Amino acid sequence: MSASTATHDHHGEHEHDHHELGWFQKYIFSTDHKVIGIQYGLSGLVMLLFGFFLMMIMRWTIAYPGTEVPGLVMLSKLPLVGNFFANWIEQWAPGGIVSPALYNMFGAMHGTIMVFFGIVPLGFAAFGNFVMPLQIGAIDMAFPKLNMASFWCFFVSAVIMMASFFLPTGAVQSGWTMYSPLASTEGMGIKNVWMHGHTWWLLAMVFNISASLLGSVNFIATAINLRAKGMTWFRMPFFSWAMMVTAFLLLLAFPPLEVAAILQLGDRVFGSSFYLPTGLMEGGQRLDISGGGNPLLYQHLFWFLAHPEVYVLILPAFAICSDVLPCNARRPLWGYKMMIYAVLTLAFLSFIVWAHHMYLTGMGVMMSTFFQITTVLISVPSVILLTCLMITLWGGSIRFNTQMLFASAFLPMFGIGGLTGLPLAFNFIDLFLHDTYYVIGHFHYVVAPGTIFALFAGVYHWYPKVTGRYMSDLLGKIHFWPSLICMNLIFAPMLYQGMLGFHRRWYDGGKYFEQVTNGHLWTNELISFAAWGLALAQIPFIINVFVSIKSGKKITSDNPWDATTLEWNTPTPPPHGNFLSEPIVYRPAYEYSVPGVEQDFLPQHVADNGVPAEKTAVAANHH
Amino acid sequence: MDIPFTRKPRPDTGLYNAKLGVWLFLASEVMLFGGLFSSYIFLRVGADYHWPVHELNVTLGFVNTLVLILSSVTVVMAWANLKMRKIGAYKVCMWITVASAGVFMVNKSFEYKAKFEHYGVKLKDGTILTGHLPEGGYRIEFGDVNKLTLNSKTGDPTYFLEYTKSENPKFKTAAGTEVELTKSAWKELAAEAIKAKQNSVVLTSVAPLTFAVKESATFTHTDSTLTFRDGTTIEGKLINDALTLQVDKVDVRASDDPKKSLAWTYLGTEWQHAFDAHQEHAKEKYKSFDAKDARYLRHVMQMEIHHSTVAEHNEAHPGAGHAAETHAPAEGNHKADGHSSHYPEATIARKDIAFWSNFTPKWNTYYGIYFILTGLHGLHVVAGALVLAYFLLFDTKLLREDPDHLANRIEVGGLFWHFVDLVWIFLFPLLYLL
Amino acid sequence: MEQSHDDLQKHVKKYVKIGIILGVFTIITVGLSYIELPTHGLNIIVGMIVATFKAALVALIFMHLNHEASMIYKILLFTTVFVMGLFVLFYLAHGDGLVFTQFDGYPGTPYGGAPH
Repeated sequence: MSASTATHDHHGEHEHDHHELGWFQKYIFSTDHKVIGIQYGLSGLVMLLFGFFLMMIMRWTIAYPGTEVPGLVMLSKLPLVGNFFANWIEQWAPGGIVSPALYNMFGAMHGTIMVFFGIVPLGFAAFGNFVMPLQIGAIDMAFPKLNMASFWCFFVSAVIMMASFFLPTGAVQSGWTMYSPLASTEGMGIKNVWMHGHTWWLLAMVFNISASLLGSVNFIATAINLRAKGMTWFRMPFFSWAMMVTAFLLLLAFPPLEVAAILQLGDRVFGSSFYLPTGLMEGGQRLDISGGGNPLLYQHLFWFLAHPEVYVLILPAFAICSDVLPCNARRPLWGYKMMIYAVLTLAFLSFIVWAHHMYLTGMGVMMSTFFQITTVLISVPSVILLTCLMITLWGGSIRFNTQMLFASAFLPMFGIGGLTGLPLAFNFIDLFLHDTYYVIGHFHYVVAPGTIFALFAGVYHWYPKVTGRYMSDLLGKIHFWPSLICMNLIFAPMLYQGMLGFHRRWYDGGKYFEQVTNGHLWTNELISFAAWGLALAQIPFIINVFVSIKSGKKITSDNPWDATTLEWNTPTPPPHGNFLSEPIVYRPAYEYSVPGVEQDFLPQHVADNGVPAEKTAVAANHH
Repeated sequence: MDIPFTRKPRPDTGLYNAKLGVWLFLASEVMLFGGLFSSYIFLRVGADYHWPVHELNVTLGFVNTLVLILSSVTVVMAWANLKMRKIGAYKVCMWITVASAGVFMVNKSFEYKAKFEHYGVKLKDGTILTGHLPEGGYRIEFGDVNKLTLNSKTGDPTYFLEYTKSENPKFKTAAGTEVELTKSAWKELAAEAIKAKQNSVVLTSVAPLTFAVKESATFTHTDSTLTFRDGTTIEGKLINDALTLQVDKVDVRASDDPKKSLAWTYLGTEWQHAFDAHQEHAKEKYKSFDAKDARYLRHVMQMEIHHSTVAEHNEAHPGAGHAAETHAPAEGNHKADGHSSHYPEATIARKDIAFWSNFTPKWNTYYGIYFILTGLHGLHVVAGALVLAYFLLFDTKLLREDPDHLANRIEVGGLFWHFVDLVWIFLFPLLYLL
Repeated sequence: MEQSHDDLQKHVKKYVKIGIILGVFTIITVGLSYIELPTHGLNIIVGMIVATFKAALVALIFMHLNHEASMIYKILLFTTVFVMGLFVLFYLAHGDGLVFTQFDGYPGTPYGGAPH
C-alpha cells in the first residue's frame, strides 16, 4: 500500500478558523490531543508521586516495624483538613504506627496506582497523545471528542480510587491482584456492600477500563487513517508503531479484566459464587453462598489482562528510547524493520503466556509446559528490541544530555529486569521464588529503573516542544545520578532477599520469621534508606519541571535536538491543528549522518537536500 | 480545522474513520463477550450441581430472538433506504428498530421479575424445593427484647426499628435518661459515644419489644441474640425461625435418599405417593436412557406441582402427564400474589435449610452467569437503541444537508446493533435451550 | 464503496430473505433442543453449529463482511485468534489440574469438591 496515492478529501491548506475557544474549552475540556496529553501527563506524574509516597510509608514499617512513622501525625496538625486527617490516622495508624490493615491497604493501592494510574497514563496516554499524531503528521486524533471523554473517564476513576481511602472501611486491602475468594468476601459484614473500598476499586476500574478502551480505539484509528501523505507503514517512526501496538494490547486485553471485575462485583453485591467453591468456610463458619464457582477463573481472567499489561508498561519505554537514542547518538535506528516485527511478535505472544503467573495453583504438567515454552519464547523479541537499541549506539557521536543519560540507563536496567525474569519462567524455580522479594525485585527492575527512566527521558526530550524552553541540564544530572544509584540500591538487595526466602507480603519485614531472615534484616533498612534517598533525588526534577516553564533557556529553533521526525516540524508549541502546511513525508524516519549530506540529519519532511530522496532511502535501509 | 476522512473513505485503507473505530470497538467487545462465554464454559464444566436445562422461559426467549432478528433486518434496510434517498422508508425502518429494542427490554423485565419472585430452598439432605414466599417474605420473629447494643459509628435506628411490631418504642440510656430513637436523638448519642471513645452504645427498652426481621437484614443470630447488618445487636428470645414456601417443584436429584427426603416431612406422605406415581410414568417413558444420564434424572427425579392438594393434582394429570410437565418453565405460569391456594405450603424449620435464595445470581453459578450475560447484553441493547434513536430524532439537519454522512452514522450504529444480535444468537441456545 | 440504486434495491430484498432464514433457523434450534440425541453433548454441538451458521449470516450479509476493507479482516483475524486462545486455554486449564487426594480418600480436583 503506497501512501503516495493517499489523498486527503479535505485538502490541507488548513485555514485555521480562529474562532477563539473559551478558557475552559482550551485547557480543561479540550479536544486537542496535545492538551489531553499534557493533562494525562500531569495526572500521571502526580499519581506516580502519590504511589511512591505510599511506598515510603510502607518501607518505614518494614524497616522499623511497630514504631511511629515520623511526621505522619503531623498531618493532623494541618490547617483546615487537620481534623479530618486526625480521625483517619486515629482509625488506621493510631499514634502514627501503621496498622496491618493500613499496610495492606497501601500495598494494594501502591500496585494499582502505579500500574493503572501512573505509568499507563503517563507512558501510553500522555506521550502517545502528545507525540504520536504529530509524528505521523495528523492534525489531531481521529475522534477528538472521544479523546476528551477518555481523559475524563480516567479522571473520574482516579477520583473514585482516591476517595475510597476515606470510606469507613478504608480502601481495598487484598493486594493489587484482588485474588478471590479473599477479595470476594472481604469485609462483607456491613450494611451496604456498595460502600466498601473494594467495591469502589472495582467501580473505579470499570471507568479506567472505559478510558483505556476509548483511548486505544482512537490511537489505532488515527495511526491507520490519519497518516500524512507519504507516511507509509515502513516510514512510520518506531515510536508510533509501538504506541499502536500498545493500543492493540489495551484494546484486546482489557475486556477480560472487565469480565473479571464484573463477576467479582457480582460475587460481592449480588451474592453470586463465580469465584467461590462449594463449602467455603471463613472464620470457622460456612458462608451463605451457593458455591460451585472456581477461584482459578478469576486468576485466568485477571492474568489474561495483566500479562499483556506488562507489555503495555514497557512498550512506551521502548518507544521513547527508540526516538531519544538515535537522535542523540546521531545514528539511524539499527534494525528498524526487525524491531517492528519483534514488537508485533511480542504483542502476539504476550496473549498466550498469562498462566506463568499461576504455576502454584496446581496446574497440570501439560499446561505448565505450554506456558513455560511461550514464556521463554517471548524473551526472544524482547532481546531483539533491546539489542537493536544497543547496537544503535555503536559508532555514534553521542551527546550525553539528560534524556540520553536516562535512555541509555534504561538499557542495562531493563536488561537486568528481563534476565532476572528468565528463572521465573521455569515452573520448578518459580515454586521457590513465587511471592518472594525476588519477584518484586524482578518486575520493579523492569518498570522502575526501566520504564520510569525512559519516561523521564521522554519528559526531558519533548519538554522543549511543549513549552518552548529547555529543562535545566544541570538539575537533570543532579536528578539522574542519585536516582540511578538509589534505584539499584533498592532493587538489587530485593533479589538477594528473595533468594533467602523473604515473603513479599510481610507487614513487619520479617522480624518474626527469624529462621528465614536471621542476620539479614539489615537489608530492609538499606532498601528503605535508598527509597527515601530516591525521593530526595526527585526534588530537582520537580523543581526543574515547574521552574523551566518560566525561566528555562529558550529554544532557538523548532527542532532543538536536530531530530528527523515530523513533530519537530511544527511551530513551538504546536497550535491547534498542529502543522502550518500539510506535511508530506519523503523518507524513512531515522536519516541521521547520511553520507554525502551536509547536515548530519535529514528530516522526514525535507524533499531534497542535495541527495535525491530515493538514494537516501536506499542508504538507510542498508544499515 | 476538520478531521479528514469523517465522510469519505481514505483511498488506501478504504475506510472512513468511524467505521474503522467501530470495528475496533467491536473487536474489544468480542473479547468482552468471549471472556464471558469462556467463563460460562469454565463454570459449566466445573459445576458440581445439576446444570439447569430448559429452566428459563423458552417462549419469551424465542420471541425476543425473533424481535432482534427483525430489528437487525430493519436497521440494515434503513441504511439502504437512506442511501437510495427513500426518506419515508428509512424513517419507518428506524422506528421499527427502536421499537423492537423496547419490546425486547419489556420482555426481559417480565423474565427478570419472575426470577426475583421465585425462590429455591436447598434442604440439609440435598433436596431442593422451589416456589414462592407468602407476602412479607421470610421473617425471623424475635421477642422479649430489652437490651440493644448499637455500633456508635455504623448504627442506624431507622434501619432496624422498621422491623419492630411495637409503636414508638422508648429506650433508656446507660445514664438513665429516656429517649425516643429519632434520627437526631441518635446522632447526639453517637457523637457523645465517639467523643468518649466508646465503640458502642447500650440501650435498654422501657417495654419488651418484639421484632419480625427480614432475613436479609440480619447478619447473624442465635437463640438469644440477633445482629443486624448495621452492627446493632439485640438480646432476647428467638420465637420463630421458619420459612414458609408455596411449593411448585420438588427436586430430589441431589437428595441423600429420595425415599426419606426431608421434602416428605414437610409436604406429607400423600405428595410422596404422587411423586412415586409420577416417577413410575417417567421411568417408563425414558427407559431408553442410562439411569445416570442427567436428562433421565431431570425427568425422573423432579416433579412440578400446580395444585394445592394431591387430589386436584391427580385429577388434572391422570397418567403420564407428569413427565411432560417437567419441561414447562415454572415461573412463567403463575404469580405469587393471591394465588397461594394453587400450591401446597411447607413451613420449613431453619435447621433443615442448607441454603435458600430467589433465582438471582445467588442461587447458583448458572443463574449468576445468566444474569451477567443477559444483563450486559441488555445494557448493550439499551445503548444501541439510544444511539439509533438519537440519529433518528436529532440528526434531522444532517438528513437534509448530507444524507450520505448520516448513512455512515446509521451504518456504524447498525454494525453495533448487528453485533448485539449476534451475541444473542449464541446466548439464546446456551442459556435457554441447551 | 458507492453502490447504485439498483444494487441497493437488490440488497434490500436479500436482507429480507436472510431475515426469514434466520427466523426459520431459530425455530429449528428450539425444536432440536427438545430432541434427545444420544448424548446431551451432541445436542450442544448441533445447537452451536446452527448458532454459528446464523451468526455467520449476520456477520457476512448484515455487517457486510463479505466485502470489506482488508484492514478490518486483519483486525478481526487477530481478535479471533485471541478469543479462541481464551476459549481453548481456559478449557484445557480446567481439565488439566494436578489431581489431589482428598483426606477422605476420594480423588478429586483441588476445587472441584468431592462427589456428593
